[in-house]
Amino acid sequence: MREKLIYVLATAASLLLARNLAMIFLHLPDEASQGMIYRIIFFHVPAWWTAMLGAIVALVASVLFLVKKDFRHDSLAVAATEVGLAFLTIGLVTGTIWARIIWGIWWTWDARLTSALICWILYGGYLILRRTVDEPTQRATLAAVYSIFAFVDVPIVWFSIRWWRTQHPQPVFGQGGFLEADMKSTLLWNFLAVGLIGVILLLIRLQQEENLREIDALRRETHAIS
Amino acid sequence: MGFIRQVIVIMQKDLRAELRSKEAINAALSFALVILLMFSFAFDPSAEQTREISGGLLWIVFAFAGALILNRSFSREQPNDCLDALIAAPISGAALFLGKALANCVFVLALEAVCFPLFGIFYNTHWTAQFWPLVMVAVLGTWGFTVIGTIFSALTVNLRLREVMLPLLIYPLMIPCLMAAMQLTAHLIAGQPLSGDILVWLRLLIGFDVIFTTLALILIDTVLVG
Amino acid sequence: MDTRNFTFMFYGFLAAWLILVLYVVTLVSRERRIKQEMKSLRSMIEDRGHA
Repeated sequence: MREKLIYVLATAASLLLARNLAMIFLHLPDEASQGMIYRIIFFHVPAWWTAMLGAIVALVASVLFLVKKDFRHDSLAVAATEVGLAFLTIGLVTGTIWARIIWGIWWTWDARLTSALICWILYGGYLILRRTVDEPTQRATLAAVYSIFAFVDVPIVWFSIRWWRTQHPQPVFGQGGFLEADMKSTLLWNFLAVGLIGVILLLIRLQQEENLREIDALRRETHAIS
Repeated sequence: MGFIRQVIVIMQKDLRAELRSKEAINAALSFALVILLMFSFAFDPSAEQTREISGGLLWIVFAFAGALILNRSFSREQPNDCLDALIAAPISGAALFLGKALANCVFVLALEAVCFPLFGIFYNTHWTAQFWPLVMVAVLGTWGFTVIGTIFSALTVNLRLREVMLPLLIYPLMIPCLMAAMQLTAHLIAGQPLSGDILVWLRLLIGFDVIFTTLALILIDTVLVG
Repeated sequence: MDTRNFTFMFYGFLAAWLILVLYVVTLVSRERRIKQEMKSLRSMIEDRGHA
């Protein structure tokens, strides 16, 4: 059942990607000052939005686990965090490469980049924390508590360009975005594609987490029999 | 026992225990002094440079030296099952947490009270121009990272790799708080009043304190009991 | 089409896809490890059950 869902989503994502890539490279005009490099925005921004969504899902799953003690929520939390971390990495790397061209520097310590890097470190720390705890219930509980604390950085990342004057550009949507209409629509379409890829990876990772728990149960069974 | 009374009893217990052995205080104080001195003669900063780095230097010193104090907060309770006794005692987890956090805050503030005058002496800086705002910033910033350090001390007390995990987990979480404190301190030591752009950092610091204190009080029972 | 900065844009896209591929590879290898362990555990249980 889940496998069929994954195949359907994968097909949809591939078609969307094909359409979007055609749009990005063949149809859209160039940006005046940046040349071709601006086209990276169509992956840079969706990657970040997906990562932020992953963080929100992880938060909700963590809170639900603490309330209901159901291990499926714990599985969702770790899956969402891991997939979110992958997209965080993509966002950071594409941003860095883009920055090198348009700002001339690889990195700067403005509010948005700093808080984004902290977000990366925090969610990486979540995965490391999970590795150091062997007992499943304790691991899930501690990880859930940590995830709730870690999420406090996410609004800072999101709103940093509104609250401070940053090197990073101002919001694209919302007050006075600088994108033309067809660029905006391509951006949203590609967000759908990238988001779908995220969902597919999440489902795969969820399945793996359930398999891991089954292995734990099987291990206990072999120990019980012997 | 009323809630406030419980908090005070725990706070007095921790204060008394630490004052009698003075282990952590001595270590923290020595560490702080050494760093301050080393920076002074390693870089021998000019007046202008000192004004720029004052916030960063001071709060790095406070964070690292303070961690020595915070680390012992719950690990002190491990020998002789004292932690189990505290959890079983008829006091709420929130009272236990607040008492310990307040005791830690008192110690770190005492450390800062020594470091600020020494900083003024060794770096030839007139730091008392905005004295009371500086005190307020010191208290807010210290409370912020004390809260994090205390709750994570509780979280990691039973972990295998406690010594390694605690710094790894808390420093990224503390960065927004530390950054705000650093910016505000540098601004105030340079003698400028609290107004204009710098207020966004003050808002961040206060928000951070409120959010993390609330989260810690809600989650402390989960952390202690699982 | 203006082809300024083409190299860096190429690197950008390459980096994004590489990271994604790397993550998928880790997922796949973990999957393989899981399936193997499940198979060995299941066979161990069967043996013990029959013995």
